[in-house]
Amino acid sequence: MLPQFRSNSRIRLLAILCLAIMAVFVMRLFYLQVIEHGRYSTLADNEQIKRLTIPAQRGEIYMMDNGNPVKVVLNNTVYTVFVDPQFIDDKQAVVKAIREIAGGNTVENFAKLVDRTDTRYQIVARNVSRKQAELMKERNLKGIGFQAVSERVYPEAKLGGQVLGFVNYEGKGQYGIEEEFNVALQGTDGMLQSVTDVGNVPLTIGDHNVDVPAKNGKDIVLTIDRNVQAFTERALRNGLRKLGAPYGSVLVMDPQNGKVLAMANLPDYNPGKYYTVQDARAFNNDIISDPYEPGSVIKTFTVATGINTGTITPQSTYTNTDYIDVEDRTITNATKGQTGTITFDHAYTWSLNTGMVTIAQRLGGGSINSKARTVMYDYFHDRFRLGEMTGIQLAGEVQGIIDQPNTGNGDAVRYSNMSFGQGMDPTMLQVGAAFSSVVNGGTYYHPTIIEGTVDADGKLVPAKQKTPDTNVVSESTSEQVRNMAVRARKAFYAGSDKPGFTVGGKTGTSQAIVNGEYTFDETTGTYIGFGGDSKPRYVIMVRVSGPGLAIGGQDVIPIFTDISNWMIDYQKLEPKG
Amino acid sequence: MERLRNVGTNAVNTVRKHRPDYQIVLYMGLLMLLGLIVMYAIGPQRAHVLNTAYGTDFYSATYFFTKQAISLALAVAVFIAVSKIPYTWLQKHAKHLFIIGIVACVILAIAGWADMAIAYCSLGACRWFDLGPLGSIQPAEFLKFGLLMFVAGFLAVRAKMGLINDWYKTLIPLGVIMSVVALFVVGIQKDMGTGIAMVSIVASMLVVAGLKLRIGILLLGLGVLAGIMLILIAPHRLDRVTTFLEGDNASDTAASYHITHAKIAIGSGGFLGVGIGNSVQATGYLPEAINDSVFAIMGETFGFVGLVIVLILFTALLMRLLIVSDRLNGMTERLIVAGIFGWLAAHVILNIAAMTGVFPLTGITLPLLSFGGTSMIFIASALGLAFQLSAYTVHTNLGERSTDEDSNGRRRLGRSRYTSRSSYR
Repeated sequence: MLPQFRSNSRIRLLAILCLAIMAVFVMRLFYLQVIEHGRYSTLADNEQIKRLTIPAQRGEIYMMDNGNPVKVVLNNTVYTVFVDPQFIDDKQAVVKAIREIAGGNTVENFAKLVDRTDTRYQIVARNVSRKQAELMKERNLKGIGFQAVSERVYPEAKLGGQVLGFVNYEGKGQYGIEEEFNVALQGTDGMLQSVTDVGNVPLTIGDHNVDVPAKNGKDIVLTIDRNVQAFTERALRNGLRKLGAPYGSVLVMDPQNGKVLAMANLPDYNPGKYYTVQDARAFNNDIISDPYEPGSVIKTFTVATGINTGTITPQSTYTNTDYIDVEDRTITNATKGQTGTITFDHAYTWSLNTGMVTIAQRLGGGSINSKARTVMYDYFHDRFRLGEMTGIQLAGEVQGIIDQPNTGNGDAVRYSNMSFGQGMDPTMLQVGAAFSSVVNGGTYYHPTIIEGTVDADGKLVPAKQKTPDTNVVSESTSEQVRNMAVRARKAFYAGSDKPGFTVGGKTGTSQAIVNGEYTFDETTGTYIGFGGDSKPRYVIMVRVSGPGLAIGGQDVIPIFTDISNWMIDYQKLEPKG
Repeated sequence: MERLRNVGTNAVNTVRKHRPDYQIVLYMGLLMLLGLIVMYAIGPQRAHVLNTAYGTDFYSATYFFTKQAISLALAVAVFIAVSKIPYTWLQKHAKHLFIIGIVACVILAIAGWADMAIAYCSLGACRWFDLGPLGSIQPAEFLKFGLLMFVAGFLAVRAKMGLINDWYKTLIPLGVIMSVVALFVVGIQKDMGTGIAMVSIVASMLVVAGLKLRIGILLLGLGVLAGIMLILIAPHRLDRVTTFLEGDNASDTAASYHITHAKIAIGSGGFLGVGIGNSVQATGYLPEAINDSVFAIMGETFGFVGLVIVLILFTALLMRLLIVSDRLNGMTERLIVAGIFGWLAAHVILNIAAMTGVFPLTGITLPLLSFGGTSMIFIASALGLAFQLSAYTVHTNLGERSTDEDSNGRRRLGRSRYTSRSSYR
């Protein structure tokens, strides 16, 4: 290796020195690159390989509009603008750009934040649009950065707020569809594992790269019809204003398939501004989450039970004295004076409690014995599914209460009360679905709010619906009860319905319990009814209340009537003859 | 100075010019090509890093390759030019070259102090003249060249007079010259690397000129002492040294980051390297990837095998320089080539030692491989000078001491020595 030199041992010395150093280098390199290669490779991988999350896009939510799905909840990308004061070289220009372009979106005193030197991250504006962000980027300023944030957008503002729910600041669905389908809507975030440069930009170098694309959330189509929902909300709002009542709910459903067409509750809120809500009650969908004593509308089910078991016919009679004793209690009628021998049809029309207690007694052959209670429970709970979760695809459904016939609470007094709608707490949705089954010919359709999903091509893929329970009551029973409801409506309110259509319904006035006693000083007014041509095409249930307000079933009828008449037009029903 | 010129003229006149040593060109060319390949490979990453950092798209993927190719073309032109300019002319003006170098450094110091645009400063050190579109030039490199020529002449005269080990005639004046140079280069320009390179140039010459071992060790001791002093007065140097001493446990400073990543780059390269275009450390992890750290990037790209080849090429080039120095008759010429050896060796050794973590960082380029104009051009001019001088070597029998002219040896062989390639072995 060492060249031979002509002379001069000094040059030889330099050569030896040089070669010795080079030999040290070779050994050092061998140590670093061969012996310690594994260690350094690990160190390199640790800093070079990054895992980036590819966020999945949250599924969008559709309502129906005359049979076609339309978006009511969309995603929008907005930007949060931040500054790195240590990296800014032209403060004035940065402040000017932010003020000029994102003036309306800035945080308070943002100009002062730009001056801070003890921080490297200061948010100066939020909810800046893409266009604004691009305008700012065009100015090529140092020390200004943007973070994309996905935001829910509600073009219909408050429409169906309680049904939809909202997405909180953590990106989690709260209430309604957003909560119930949070996982499906969220989708699955993708993962990108890649060798990156020092600025985290992925490189196409190496064999450690993994690319799992994000699976976007499912788009969900509701059975809610945007127009029905909008009209229902309007009608309810008008009705409440006339009554001076703060709380109200309306359920509209299709009795032929159990699909919910509208769910309106007041007070309501805009899910896009959920953070401004003062009273959390606005978030609740009372139709599914607030069981209550519906009152006399339940008489429809008592009558249906009586007819279907062959215990009574609408024309069967009983003697009404406005009072009836059940064990140690005396039950009275709210409306008095229809005394004498009257038909059950008459008792239903006049909403006489004594008639219903009589039916209950006849179910047991004269008293509300175990047999009578078992039959009532079979109908109310097992067939009409009151006090049972409907399985509606919404967060926050509450089961409600209906006492079993052979438990402590389920005695004769309780069951006598239940025959006219007291002493039980079903939800409006349970009552609406049960009523649908009674008037539609006896088929119980499990209420649903999911029409389906939207596929990649934007086509509606119908959801598989639960198999309905058939023959809950017979066709004949259904027809007889329907006719009773029509007569009950006609007896007092016929004038306001469109002629040529079948419209029937039943009022309910339930007393509030104040200091442990039922009182007529504060009542909840309920009305449930159906309308249609040869068949019932819609079922509408209205409920209105307010603290200290005595609102009766009759008081809420106009809300029903408004919606009912509008539905006839909207559904383009043909009048008979 | 009259003496100096005579010494030089004599050597040329007494030895007939023959074919120069083309191995110098071969090794230099191979190293330059390697450097160009590396620029081609990591240019896109580097451009991306800079574009991102400055928020522009000024740097194209081939920006560094193109600039390096231009630098190399310029360097080759300078190499040819210097190899053609009669070195006697350079020798004649050695003093002027040295003075111009000093003056340039003075101007730079004043310009930097006065904050003038022509002085390009970075991290508090003003090392470059900014020539606008022509790029920048580092006067220290020029000074290095001037120092080489000047000190070679000075020491040759003293050597001929047998005064090399004389304190008053040789060593103290040399010490004064070196102190002035150190003041500008290390003191004002804060360029320890170039300072060490200059010491290496002079030390190589002294060794070849016949400095006594005892005095040499003494001078080495003084030099180390001065070095320690210079380290202690500059925080960034202290940082580099403590980083080096603490090894892998070093605290999180710029120097430790640099060294750690140089070692990661070299170590992750393994035996054969990750291959051209696959360097990740060049994407911004390793600082100065194309300049001072190019050796580490080559380690990542070409692995142990590649770096050993680089070391072999440098070693071969350095050995050629020693051989040329050994075979020159005139003391001046011999010292010039020895100085060039010292120059090149200092750069190569300091750079590689820092990159492999066996010596503190000095911020010095790797000759012929690093991106950058000034250092490349001056190394090329130094090599050009060595190449020119290699045409005046003499050949006598191995071990035979010759103080005479070379004609004997050639006559004995009966043909021109330098028509055969393996003449000297």
